[in-house]
Amino acid sequence: MQSISEEERQQILESSPVGTFALMSAVIGGMVVAWLFLYYGVFLPRG
Amino acid sequence: MTTAATKKLALSHLWVAFAAFIVACFMGEYQVLERSGFISALDSAPVYFASVSTHGVLMAFVLTTFFIMGFGYYIATTTLKQPLWNLPLAWGGFWLALFGVVLAAVPLLTGKASVLYTFYPPIVAHAAFYIGATLLVVGSWVWCAIMLVMFSQWKKANPGQTVPLAMFATAANAMLWLWTSAGVALEVLFQLIPLSLGWIDTIDPGLARTLFAWTLHPIVYFWLIPAYTAFYVFVPKQAGGYLFSDEMARIAFIVLAVFALPIGFHHLYMDPEQAKGWKLLHGIGTFVVALPTLVTGFTVIASLEIAGRLRGGKGLFGWIGTLPWTNTMVLSVILALLMLIFGGFGGIVNASYAMNAMIHNTAWVPGHFHLIFGGTTIIMYFAIAYYLWPILSGKPLYSNEMALTQLWLWFIGMVILTTPWHVLGLLGQPRRISSVVYNNLLTLAWKPYELAMIFGGLVLLGSACLFIYNLVKTQLNPTAEALTEELEFAEPIHAVTALPEYLNSLTLWNKVIAVLMVISFGYPILQFFIMKTFGSSAWGY
Repeated sequence: MQSISEEERQQILESSPVGTFALMSAVIGGMVVAWLFLYYGVFLPRG
Repeated sequence: MTTAATKKLALSHLWVAFAAFIVACFMGEYQVLERSGFISALDSAPVYFASVSTHGVLMAFVLTTFFIMGFGYYIATTTLKQPLWNLPLAWGGFWLALFGVVLAAVPLLTGKASVLYTFYPPIVAHAAFYIGATLLVVGSWVWCAIMLVMFSQWKKANPGQTVPLAMFATAANAMLWLWTSAGVALEVLFQLIPLSLGWIDTIDPGLARTLFAWTLHPIVYFWLIPAYTAFYVFVPKQAGGYLFSDEMARIAFIVLAVFALPIGFHHLYMDPEQAKGWKLLHGIGTFVVALPTLVTGFTVIASLEIAGRLRGGKGLFGWIGTLPWTNTMVLSVILALLMLIFGGFGGIVNASYAMNAMIHNTAWVPGHFHLIFGGTTIIMYFAIAYYLWPILSGKPLYSNEMALTQLWLWFIGMVILTTPWHVLGLLGQPRRISSVVYNNLLTLAWKPYELAMIFGGLVLLGSACLFIYNLVKTQLNPTAEALTEELEFAEPIHAVTALPEYLNSLTLWNKVIAVLMVISFGYPILQFFIMKTFGSSAWGY
């Protein structure tokens, strides 16, 4: 574990969680794609 | 203020929960073996259905209820810093619930309650099963009363103060459970017990299924809320960081408690007794309840990101590698969230009004609920147990390495078990079957998946044994030095100084739930009393 300065610490606490936004976007996007695949690729072709 | 007496109470509840869990794990492995048909000596439909029913009751009702009660008692005394209100009553609830479990176990283990642990007449179990289940629920109502009394007393004694987040979540869960259990309680008291005792000749399955749908979905959130509580109040601290937002956590718990209830008809999409408009209304509500899970996912991952960056992580995803993966709580939450993503996707498919027809009553459904419940929820129960055991027993955890191995095995086993289960559902395998009595290309295609499930079940069983072994060795360690640790709760980045009352009280939300329940269940239940319906004769015991 790296030690960080007090200034860096404050900066981290005040910053936006960009990594979380990226992860959540990927997860939600993946779910939408998977849902569309199941709907158009599996469900509808079964009639 | 947590006394030794409260610790003993909590530990007793948790031991009952995990004793039920390990028995149910052995049954689960037997069931995948029997259903596969690979070992003909095991083929027995009566034994299979008795086992499935017992497995379900032990996992879904006994493990959960006792775990939630024990965890709740300890959370209440530690967060509110006051002794447990009415300890004798709490023990009374414990013994009542335990007696109910023993009473229900007799017909379950003798094959007289093979109703798949659901309450769907006209299939009917022996009356002892319903009476036992009722006593278990009444025991849990004692817990609800104690939690809500302590919540209320603390608020009166500390006007204007913010209720600690963990207690707010626990009280919200107690409120949710009182609402949730009312549906099945009505069904059991007025329909199933009278039918099973022969007091009435016929039963209306439509009404029974509607009442059970009232309970069937929010019960999942009753199980899940302790896991979410650990996400918010333990994980950030264990990871070395802070909770991203206390307010968002409260909003998530409120929305969970409110919208978990009026949505149960997505279990009845294929049922004839409810009109499609009601089903659509409940279907929309089901998507609403996905929101607090997204909020929770965001808040918890953001808390982990802060912790990872404070530990030196850089870049968009560099913080993930710097998290303390050897901390059981942190590892558990990562694995729990991964399973929640896939389990949540399965749930969205279930909730999709049209697409539900593709997977309704197929193997997809048990695959889904094993991933959400057996995966996300139970792995967090493990994490809480590993965290609580040294505190409750006063002895250090026997082996952290064993715990980490166990958590990984549980995750791997659950993935191996549930992925084929979902695929089998898409291939058309029905749920609730003990065997396949015909062979053709369709059913032969199921075999490789069933083989994989047997292996997944074995991995899970091994993991479960490691878990119990670790707890037993911890508690029975005669040489360990006494520990005096207490729970550590995560602090939010921005301290909560003043909260609006609607984020610090449950009164308003209780009224909102009442209104939503009248809207969503009022006429669907009333219709059975204003239209002529025909009862069914009992089938079973």
